[in-house]
Amino acid sequence: MSVAGVLPRVPGISSGTALRHALARAPVYLILGLWSVLTIGAIVWVVLGGLKTKREVLLSGWSLPASPQWGNFPRVLSEGNLGHYFVNSALTVTLSTLAIIAVSVPAAYVLTRAEFRGREALTNVFVIGIGIPIPLLFIPVFMILAWLRLADTLTGLSIVFVAVSLPFTVYLLTGFFSSLPRALEDAAAIDGCNSVQIFWHAMLPLARPGILTAFIINFIWLWNEYQLSLTIINTGDKRPIGLGLYALQNALQYTSDWPGLFAGVTIAIIPTLLLYAVLAEKMIAGLTAGAVK
Amino acid sequence: MFSKRLILGFLAPATFIYFVFFLLPVACTLYISLFDWTGFGDHMTFIGLKNYVRMWSDPVFWISLQNTFAILVVGGVCVFALALLFTALIDSGVWGKKLFRFIFFLPNILAIVAVTAMWSYIYNPKGGLLNGLLKGIGLTGASKFLWTAPEHIFWSMLAAIVWVNTGFFLILLLAGTDKVPKDMYEAAELDGASIFQKFFFITIPMIWDVLVISLVIWIIAAMKMFEFPYAFGLIQIPQQLYTLGIYLFIMGFGHREPIYQLGYAAAIGVVLLALTFILIFATRRLLRRATLEF
Repeated sequence: MSVAGVLPRVPGISSGTALRHALARAPVYLILGLWSVLTIGAIVWVVLGGLKTKREVLLSGWSLPASPQWGNFPRVLSEGNLGHYFVNSALTVTLSTLAIIAVSVPAAYVLTRAEFRGREALTNVFVIGIGIPIPLLFIPVFMILAWLRLADTLTGLSIVFVAVSLPFTVYLLTGFFSSLPRALEDAAAIDGCNSVQIFWHAMLPLARPGILTAFIINFIWLWNEYQLSLTIINTGDKRPIGLGLYALQNALQYTSDWPGLFAGVTIAIIPTLLLYAVLAEKMIAGLTAGAVK
Repeated sequence: MFSKRLILGFLAPATFIYFVFFLLPVACTLYISLFDWTGFGDHMTFIGLKNYVRMWSDPVFWISLQNTFAILVVGGVCVFALALLFTALIDSGVWGKKLFRFIFFLPNILAIVAVTAMWSYIYNPKGGLLNGLLKGIGLTGASKFLWTAPEHIFWSMLAAIVWVNTGFFLILLLAGTDKVPKDMYEAAELDGASIFQKFFFITIPMIWDVLVISLVIWIIAAMKMFEFPYAFGLIQIPQQLYTLGIYLFIMGFGHREPIYQLGYAAAIGVVLLALTFILIFATRRLLRRATLEF
């Protein structure tokens, strides 16, 4: 790299260069702006679609609702049974996510801090699960649940949710635990705490941000998934919200009830949108932590 | 400070669930794939590798494989081209970096069926947004285009998949570029380097490891693609949208009418698993290089 021959240009030295800089940036903002508008616009338009009449949607998607059809929402909640599915998901996903945390946090702690034979091998066995395609599990998981008499139950679904979330969660948390300083544990050990007390009083408070990240990521992906529910749940009443939306979307060809579907979509995305709006930074940090060392 | 009992107690629940409900099913799949079996309680006939032989001459399997690879390669090129472009633009010192990142990632937190419903609305021949837009700007001919006709539906779906995934890989790449020392860019700026020169000669080499991991994550995501095409295809999913995951599901559970060829479905799963791991290892091997010191 040579500076010779090129005089360093100091940005913003006159208003002329400042203007030139702003103009040079214009295409950048244009491209980023277009993609943002496409993304936000698509979501806003679907939410608006939930306030239209069937006729309005089919006549032209671009029209605004002449008078907002708020009735679409209670209609899809009761007739479309979406209220019921929402409760199914709220219970199943919350409990599964808590269970994932309850089993992965101690496991990840021991896998990062304890010394025992096979520690690295076991960590690798957990991590390798990230690469195993979920569709592979459809048939045998259904068989095993049927054998345990848990097929077509939300309990069975929750257990499978925990199992398939373990590889990523253990990976995320072992990475997080190894980044924590050992000083506090050592101090606690000198003070005479036993290892359970150290885990409970020294490690858990420190690990709270990592646990929160693991919670949000798992909650959002389990709330949104429908492939495992499709495989495991047969009874209409037991559908989680993702599968409920899938059924609603498939009914479209008989009902043409686009506004109902959009109202349903709006209801289904509210919880994850809220979580994301509040905790986006934590979620993004957690997802990228493994890729960037 | 860790007693054996504590180690065992802390590891047992996670390990038990993982082995019984994840690894055991994988092993079951390998086993079932060697049998002719219609399902629960029925007699299983050992047929060796016949399920795999059958795959070789099954045109629908090849369609599914071809579609899966098209998602992997064509989709991958688009996703990474866009993600890299947006990374370069967002890192060029624009205002609102966090806001753009927030918006671009947004499709990833929506329920998949919410996204497929959204895109069905965009492509819908009756009152659809895309054709409405084309008509509005005077392209009457193009506005009659049938985006979801059998010969176009795969590419229409792939566009939607690219839209969702670009944001995901963007946040990975941005996390990588955040770690690149700023003084390298300052030195290049003194030499009069443009945004794109800086990107290709500094950023790409500096985030190489993140790029390789991102590619591996994309391979995993693309190979197991099921939910998006399956919901996009609605109840009568056309073969143009079959992926290996979808074909496995249909052979195992049937679609509108039951099929229950569990052995064959399991064999498709084994091939899917093998291909995924071969691709991961090949990618890691081919793209490995000495770590850059700085």
